[in-house]
Amino acid sequence: MTGGLQRVVSTLVLVGVSFCLTALILWISGYSVGEVFSGIIQGSVTATGAATSSIRWSIPLLLIGLGVVIGFRAGFFNIGGQGQFYVGACSALAVSLGWSGGPALLVVLCGTLAAIGAGTAWSLLPGYLRVRFGTDEVLTTLMMSFIGTLVLQYLTAGPMRNPSGTGQTAASERIPEGFRITDSSGVSPTVLVLVGGVAVLVWLLLERTRFGLAMTLVGRNPTMARWQGIDVRRVGLGAFALSGALAGLAGAVELYGPGARLVTGFSPEVGFTAVVVALVGLLSVWGTVVSAVFFGGLQSAILFLPIVTDLPPPALVLLHGMVAFLVTVRFRAIRLRPATSAEEALAD
Amino acid sequence: MTVPRGAASAGTAAVRCRSVGVSFGTVRALHSVSLDLAPARIHALVGQNGAGNTTLAKVLGGLQTPDAGDVHIAGRKLPPGDVRSARAAGLAMVHQHFSLPPSFTIAEALELTAARPEGRSVYRRAELHRRWHEDVADVGGTAALSTRIRDLPVETRQSLEIVRALTTEARILVLDEPTALLTPAAIEALFERLRRLRDDGITVLIVLHKLREVVAVADTVSVLREGELVLGPVEMSEATQGQISDAIVGPASGADRSIGVAAATGAEHPTLLELVRVSSRESAFEPGLRSVDLSVESGEIVGVAGVEGNGQRGLVSVIAGLGAAIEGSVLLGGSEATRSPPGRRRSRGLRLVPFDRNSEGISRSAPLWLNQSALRLIGRRRRRSPLISLRDYKRQATEALDHWQVRYNAVTQPAESLSGGNMQRLILARELAPGLEVLVAAQPTRGLDFSATSFVRRSLRGLRDAGAGVLLVSSDLDELFELSDRLLVMYGGQIVARLEAPFDRRAVGDAMTGASR
Amino acid sequence: MEQILATTLRSAAPLALVATAGVFAFRAGIFHLGLEGLMIVGAFTTVAVGEATGSVELGILAAIGVCMVLSAVYWWVIGPLGANVIIAGLGLTSIGLGGTAFALGAIFDRRGSMFTEVVLPRPVSGITSGFGVIVSEHSVLVWMTPLIVLTAWVVLRRSRFGLRLAAVGEYPFAARAAGVNPSVVRLQALLIAGALCALGGAELSVGALHNFTENMTNGRGFIAFVAVIFGAWHPIGAALAALFFGFADAIGIQSQINITERVPREFVLMIPYVLTILAVWLGGLWRRRSLEAEAGYAELREPDR
Repeated sequence: MTGGLQRVVSTLVLVGVSFCLTALILWISGYSVGEVFSGIIQGSVTATGAATSSIRWSIPLLLIGLGVVIGFRAGFFNIGGQGQFYVGACSALAVSLGWSGGPALLVVLCGTLAAIGAGTAWSLLPGYLRVRFGTDEVLTTLMMSFIGTLVLQYLTAGPMRNPSGTGQTAASERIPEGFRITDSSGVSPTVLVLVGGVAVLVWLLLERTRFGLAMTLVGRNPTMARWQGIDVRRVGLGAFALSGALAGLAGAVELYGPGARLVTGFSPEVGFTAVVVALVGLLSVWGTVVSAVFFGGLQSAILFLPIVTDLPPPALVLLHGMVAFLVTVRFRAIRLRPATSAEEALAD
Repeated sequence: MTVPRGAASAGTAAVRCRSVGVSFGTVRALHSVSLDLAPARIHALVGQNGAGNTTLAKVLGGLQTPDAGDVHIAGRKLPPGDVRSARAAGLAMVHQHFSLPPSFTIAEALELTAARPEGRSVYRRAELHRRWHEDVADVGGTAALSTRIRDLPVETRQSLEIVRALTTEARILVLDEPTALLTPAAIEALFERLRRLRDDGITVLIVLHKLREVVAVADTVSVLREGELVLGPVEMSEATQGQISDAIVGPASGADRSIGVAAATGAEHPTLLELVRVSSRESAFEPGLRSVDLSVESGEIVGVAGVEGNGQRGLVSVIAGLGAAIEGSVLLGGSEATRSPPGRRRSRGLRLVPFDRNSEGISRSAPLWLNQSALRLIGRRRRRSPLISLRDYKRQATEALDHWQVRYNAVTQPAESLSGGNMQRLILARELAPGLEVLVAAQPTRGLDFSATSFVRRSLRGLRDAGAGVLLVSSDLDELFELSDRLLVMYGGQIVARLEAPFDRRAVGDAMTGASR
Repeated sequence: MEQILATTLRSAAPLALVATAGVFAFRAGIFHLGLEGLMIVGAFTTVAVGEATGSVELGILAAIGVCMVLSAVYWWVIGPLGANVIIAGLGLTSIGLGGTAFALGAIFDRRGSMFTEVVLPRPVSGITSGFGVIVSEHSVLVWMTPLIVLTAWVVLRRSRFGLRLAAVGEYPFAARAAGVNPSVVRLQALLIAGALCALGGAELSVGALHNFTENMTNGRGFIAFVAVIFGAWHPIGAALAALFFGFADAIGIQSQINITERVPREFVLMIPYVLTILAVWLGGLWRRRSLEAEAGYAELREPDR
């Protein structure tokens, strides 16, 4: 597997280059690179509660990132994770607020299913347009993502607004404490088992089922897959659905975990960062787990412990941008998107 | 002032290549090709697919930078890989694939490719039309300057490509397989046109595949085989057809063993595949099928002949379930399959060798074992567990590839690392596995070298002898004559002739060109 | 009503400028999702250099320069280095958004936003009633936008450069066969796009408003991209689409003031996105017919290196 090793090394090099460039910018701006670096280590690992916070931030990245991996495996580019995440969280919130008196286990189960359903629906529409009409999914998932953001904005500012809330940003009412699966740290055994289980299931699906192998063939060359009798549309829709379902699930975990309520535009970068996470994870399940923990740590260091790192949140956005800008360099060999002739095959 | 002798003799050749070599990775496309072409003659360049013809044409036109050697035009050395200077030196190219953007109007396309732009860089439409009016008069037909390229019929596009080439005031015209998409009448018109150009003093180099066409148009012929010039430019009057075809094909290489395939045999010959009055929609390149009747029985090879683009693609996709029949029915093994999706048909024993290995037959970036296992991914699950054993998949793939003598290093290597012949073996290894009832083979030997071709042909014969049915779609008449038990000829989406062996070449030719109707 | 039309023009102008940038990139075959990032860099640089030098012209020139340099880097990454166009484009957007917010703190020691008095002149102002309101209070860049769009039309549809650009985007083989280097043409298109994004950003910060705010583009780059698709990648079409989205924005602002109870602003703001999905879907249906005819070409879309 020298080809695989080469890809790992080249990705590590590119991520390293992105870090160096960002560090250069920080240095020019008068930050001490050494201090920032040790600050990040503290803020992500060594400080009190930092490791927990790192895991808390890596959970949504991992779930959405796994969805991105599934999409890419079948040759689709789901960059609408943010919107799917939001509508998932909104649906779970609606169920929980609407049935706040119900038995906790049942309500949380229903809410989670609603979140998964909403995320799936949000990605199935672009998916259907893609496999049925050949409509470019990059555009449609992006549009659906913007619409999802507006849905969240509408609900938190309108029907679900907490009237007693103060401050500038609109937020929803809180769900009953009994519904939560973690405390505000966002990490509990339940969540870890759930997320770990999902990762294992996704790995089994992709690498050890006929559907997963069919998805790989469709992603690499849909024309050939069609000639082989694989139902390209069904496989494509399945990939889109799973991809959205995972993002929706991430929304539910966010609500029942650390969130307990929804704030307009919460975790604004998570959808895009998840794409970066998946790419840095080389579109493999375990690679994505590692890269999600890594990026979760960065997020924790900068968002949660700004005093330690002394860095403003935009530095994180800059860094993510830098990684995304460079990480696909010379990735052409793995064919993120099928060739035009392949799109043709999907279109009719 | 003394003129070196070399320069003087170079001056007599319109085009001169010296030791030109091109490699793509480990594949050697051209090796040390030296060639002198005399002015005002029609030179044919022939060779099998992949022999290097197109690469050599591209080197001349400046679209491909050679790794070694150089090109002189009228005694002057060209900078390598530069389209502009090749054109400035008077060499223009007509490409195998059309080189005009489909959404452009004729006037825009001519303006884009004009060698010496006139006037301001901003134009008005009317200005453009005035400028190109006369050139297009040559194209004939009703093509207006504001017609979009994509709306033009194939012949008009072809003539426009030549017009485009000549607007650059070319003295040397290089045509890369211009006849591939043309009807016989259009080919004759093209040749007539080339003869007139030659008489006007233009040097023509034309890449051809068919000996008949070479005889019809060329003054001299050169042959490439596996990237080497094996027959220098010789006068047609001095070359025999046998000599040329020997040069194209080369000596027969060592035979490899034939492979028998276990398929259902029976004393009777049940009909395995049947099309009853099938019609389909036309596509951009082909007429639709019109009321096609066809049947393939166990133990026979049915050949389908025809000039490409007469409905063969439509026929194969209707059988495969990739294209819909708007009328009629398709029967597999005697039972209705018209509405079955491709996967169901595959499960019922239909096997396919698609037209294009690279895009339809394999997934280039997927590993060999996955390419080999594709058919295991469809149909009902055989075991209860939803999980599969990759080891089992890889083991079976290894066995099949070894059995079919595919040359590879590891089953995990990507399929694109195989040579064309080995790719075809991989496809056969997958499609000709047990479970096969009927095989549809589309152009199974296209672009393969001699030994790979004979291997494929032996495999098809072995398949027939083992009791399977084979529908062989090919544009190679010799192949069809050699293998077929019965022969159908397609023309304009219809089957216009049904012939039994022994076949009459004349009759088939007439049917293919529509002359017999 | 006049107020709505005036707001429409004000919202549409930066969109139209950036959409024109998008048309240049799209015609060269580049799905440019970095427009948003370039736009905010343009907005910030104009304010920053304007404040430093006291000259808005210098500010805009600097913005154009910076955006062109970033565009050249983008070209280098997606062209010679072979990175994925979409992901690198989104990365460029993040670099722009994060970088400008970061620089605001690092250079001016501000968080959130900064006010500037170095702004574009407004040729007509002070009209408060009648139809004059429509044309009042617009920066000189708004007045110039139609001219820029028309120039773009001439360049794209009536010049040899436009033909080369279209050939590169549609069918690189044709361009190469005509002796055109697709890579160079893409660079030219991206540089033009960069300059136009800078103008769009400048109009936002020193034209319509008198400040720079973190994330002030607020998705306008993406809306502009949407306008490109919606306007069928024709410069005039894209500008009209921008005008329409500007109108939707104006109504959104208005409804927030007047009729919040009946039409939530969010729903009005969704209109462009919903329309875009419809447009790419229907546009795809219509285009598929030609795509089929081009299937033979599709096989030829060689990676041009």
